[in-house]
Amino acid sequence: MTINRREFIKANAIAAAAAVAGVSVPAVASNLITSSDITKLKWDKAPCRFCGTGCSVNVGVMDGKVVATHGDIKSPVNKGLNCVKGYFLSKIMYGKDRLTTPLLRMTNGKYDKEGEFTPVSWDQAFNVMAEKAKDALKKDGPEALGMFGSGQWTVQEGYAAVKLMKAGFRTNNIDPNARHCMASAVGGFMRTFGIDEPMGCYDDLEAADAFVLWGSNMAEMHPILWTRLTDRRLSAPHVKVAVLSTFEHRSFDLADNGMIFTPQTDLAILNYIANYIIQTGRVNKDFVSKHTNFRLGETDIGYGLRPEHPLEQAAKNNGKTAGSSTPIDFDEYAKFVSTYTVESVSKLSGVPEHKLEALAELYADPKIKVTSFWTMGFNQHTRGVWANNLVYNIHLLTGKISTPGNSPFSLTGQPSACGTAREVGTFSHRLPADMVVKNPKHRAIAEKIWDLPEGTIPPKPGYHAVLQNRMLKDGKLNFYWVQCNNNMQAAANTNEEVYPGYRNPKNFIVVSDPYPTVTAQAADLILPTAMWVEKEGVYGNAERRTQSWYQMVEAPEGAKSDLWQLVEFSKRFNVEDVWPEELIAKKPEVRGKTLFDVLYKDSSVGKFSLDEVPEDRLNHDARDFGFYIQKGLFEEYATFGRGHAHDLAPYDRYHKERGLRWPVVNGVETKWRFKEGSDPYVKPGSGWDFYGKPDGRAIIFALPYEPPAESPDEEYDLWLSTGRVLEHWHSGSMTQRVPELYKAMPDALVYMHPDDAKKRNMRRGDLVKLISRRGEVQTRVETRGRNKPPIGLVYMPWFDASRLVNKVTLDATDPLSKQTDFKKCAIKIVKV
Amino acid sequence: MKKFNLAVIASLLVLAVSPMMYSLNANATDKETVNSVATLRDATPIDVQKEPNIIPKVINKDIKQGRNYPMQPPVIPHTTRSYEVNKNNNKCMSCHSRHRTEKTQAPMISVTHYMDRDGNFLAEMSPRRYFCNQCHVTQLDAEPLVENTFTDMHSLMKAKTQSKEH
Amino acid sequence: MTQSKDSQPSEYHVASFVAYPILAQLDEVKQAITDIEGAEIHVTSEEGKIVFTMEGSSYRDIGTKMDIIRVHKGIINLSPVYHQILDESTDNDAIQQEPKNILKELEKNKT
Repeated sequence: MTINRREFIKANAIAAAAAVAGVSVPAVASNLITSSDITKLKWDKAPCRFCGTGCSVNVGVMDGKVVATHGDIKSPVNKGLNCVKGYFLSKIMYGKDRLTTPLLRMTNGKYDKEGEFTPVSWDQAFNVMAEKAKDALKKDGPEALGMFGSGQWTVQEGYAAVKLMKAGFRTNNIDPNARHCMASAVGGFMRTFGIDEPMGCYDDLEAADAFVLWGSNMAEMHPILWTRLTDRRLSAPHVKVAVLSTFEHRSFDLADNGMIFTPQTDLAILNYIANYIIQTGRVNKDFVSKHTNFRLGETDIGYGLRPEHPLEQAAKNNGKTAGSSTPIDFDEYAKFVSTYTVESVSKLSGVPEHKLEALAELYADPKIKVTSFWTMGFNQHTRGVWANNLVYNIHLLTGKISTPGNSPFSLTGQPSACGTAREVGTFSHRLPADMVVKNPKHRAIAEKIWDLPEGTIPPKPGYHAVLQNRMLKDGKLNFYWVQCNNNMQAAANTNEEVYPGYRNPKNFIVVSDPYPTVTAQAADLILPTAMWVEKEGVYGNAERRTQSWYQMVEAPEGAKSDLWQLVEFSKRFNVEDVWPEELIAKKPEVRGKTLFDVLYKDSSVGKFSLDEVPEDRLNHDARDFGFYIQKGLFEEYATFGRGHAHDLAPYDRYHKERGLRWPVVNGVETKWRFKEGSDPYVKPGSGWDFYGKPDGRAIIFALPYEPPAESPDEEYDLWLSTGRVLEHWHSGSMTQRVPELYKAMPDALVYMHPDDAKKRNMRRGDLVKLISRRGEVQTRVETRGRNKPPIGLVYMPWFDASRLVNKVTLDATDPLSKQTDFKKCAIKIVKV
Repeated sequence: MKKFNLAVIASLLVLAVSPMMYSLNANATDKETVNSVATLRDATPIDVQKEPNIIPKVINKDIKQGRNYPMQPPVIPHTTRSYEVNKNNNKCMSCHSRHRTEKTQAPMISVTHYMDRDGNFLAEMSPRRYFCNQCHVTQLDAEPLVENTFTDMHSLMKAKTQSKEH
Repeated sequence: MTQSKDSQPSEYHVASFVAYPILAQLDEVKQAITDIEGAEIHVTSEEGKIVFTMEGSSYRDIGTKMDIIRVHKGIINLSPVYHQILDESTDNDAIQQEPKNILKELEKNKT
């Protein structure tokens, strides 16, 4: 008999339809799903754990386990859909090798850098950590301490970490893996608009007449946005899609104009489009004269390599002046871009002239509403900030900005790269709400909100992501805590910089993760970590949408959230351990208190009682600390942005909504910023107001094409581009443990043009070695499949823990954003 | 006491990789998997690389695989090599569309695929569902590196029913 | 190439829908739904939205039945919300032993 099972799924079907109709679930169904011990199933909402799209999912819990997930039909982002990764969220927490105890390298019962991983208690783990941190502090001061965090931290975790590092330990050596991901986007926003994050929102997808993808493979990396773009393209036949990349990928399946360009020449193509707009007389003169300024940027700025590198020695302006610029007028700008003709740019980029012209026309034609999307192609670029500036140029020259469908749209990679990394400011140079540590006024604001003495926050920017690895190798950074990321797999040039850095005998490395990752393998202490719906949190997606979720299940026994770890660790330090006497003297009442007291419990973070935690909710962290810590952290953090164009709603509201796009003013979210009528911060009568800049004008930058840090030569004769795949999230530490996803894409192969393979006497499936000046990796050749590189370029994804392509990549960065260029370096391939 | 080997030196590591300690394949009672390190790397040290296995073949047996929960997109039980899905052509729909399933005997797409973003019922598949490969994937003949202990709701209910009877 | 499992009787399909009828024809639409074998109305909201399920033995069976409603002249819109298939030839071990109290509860709630 299976009638009972039929009734059960029928009851679920009824409940789903009732939810859509907005009526209460009929008793026959609700009793079966919610009342009976046997069949009780509880559904709740959570944002997806993976990319920056920020889909909402419904999570079904039975007997304390997640048993089902599906797309949330009430979410405006995904309207019931998920991508293949999202549909398998149910399984990401259940890999059999979840860590459940701290593991410390030990020999004969004592910590030993060369010892074997041995289970220890949390108490022992924190004892050793605190001792190592205090040693480092005593010996070399706060700059010997560092933390590498994540755009996958919750907002509260990132905020707690910033407070602990910048105010508690008084070091700015905290940076997120978002540095690898969208630091160039931040640089672009700050430079052009003076305020971070996109002006538009996903509603642009249903309003645009044309889409241009600049080095973004949305079909694989932002699949649900791609379904919306596909929907628009196929429902409205006049809509055009242009796709630019250095190799052909799945997004080309929908392209009306697909373009393969030589790496780095996107800069020239962008300037050509500006020139085309000017030459064909389609500059929106009214908009340009009222809302923009022109500036000429500094050039020859280097490649963010170590100072002794020949390229840095040769660069003229790779110091502090790299980001400087001087005012020019429209005519000077027009003259600057006039050399970027269709002939010269076609020759440089390899894109046929007619394709370039068709692309330029999408921007120039005043009747076409155009949305530009970009992600890692622009951001992971030694001129990433420039690329961002240059795409804003063409939207500003035509006034195609901040109105539905007219949108230069920087997509983000991680679920809370915007919410946590950028808005909270977990960067080595930043504070919440776009403020920076080197600005004394900003430090004063933070110290006031945190109720800490003047001078607590150090003014000097700390080590950014790439510099952290170099400083580990050089023995300058000695206590290092990695949370919520897998940088031994993700960072460039792991062979020469990262691995020697982690294993440097001077350093103590702590890695917090739910699973034993490559980074954990390189650690000295591993902390077992709770994930996703095993804790309460908030994420912020790429369209400024802030979304919250409740804890729904218990973590495996022994695993604790990143938040719990940070805050619990702070109890190990008295203020006297970390602050100099003259600072303590400014606020004597902190004497004898722990960092936990000063930063969390006795600050405004501690002011919400446990009574506010709904009784039927788990919330291990709050109940353990004795106050509603997630609400306290969120509300204190929100103080930074309220009234300053970063307004967030009260915390409790997010538990009821499918997210809200900030600024939320008078309870209403903002869809398009900087435009009168849709953004309450715009001055009445101005039309547009780029209020991030003092005069309300955005900047159009004159910036040239400059060559990449490394190009193929006779010996290293191929370009290597790396990136992600649809089926796996980043380094694969969650998705490689889901059988269906693993079996869909088990190994990272090197995608090659068949002629390139033939020339090297290789065939599909052959075992080969990719060799650069820095290291090598073995894999197998793929000559067919979803990626089709041109002759001279190969692509290898980095999700595969067993084939570490980042041993080969180059750690050159954009000198302005400090973001690594993972998309181009020179390699050779030989048969093994 | 359990020991967790993670030798940094390659030679030591080779010795340390005893199959007992790092047996990673599905073995329900294998406690050594828990809290062991580098499970996705077969315990290979970071500065060493294990020889990559050959490219597995796509499972092409046409046997439907059960779903773990409602709304999970079914995996594709056959090869899709050279299947074009682009703006001019959708090879999948030439078998799985409603009009074609009678002839091809292939399963028809779910009725949910007819609903557009705003909840309207369309006569044809919603364009937002056009790229089948965003949700439906083939499976390669590869053994997962780590077992997954996810339990579906029906197995849970069944277990409870049985334990109640005992 | 693809072996059919579509028409085998071992499959159980259930799909749920929300129908938005022209209010004046609410009763007609409800009747049309009830007339279909395997269809069942569970609740109708004050605005006249009808929540109903359709059970059947194959994709095509469900598809054919839903077309009857979709083209009904009294329908403004029909939203298919949910579609699940139980392959009882392979999954039939799910809950062999039924807890009697649940069945009773179901019966009680139906009346």
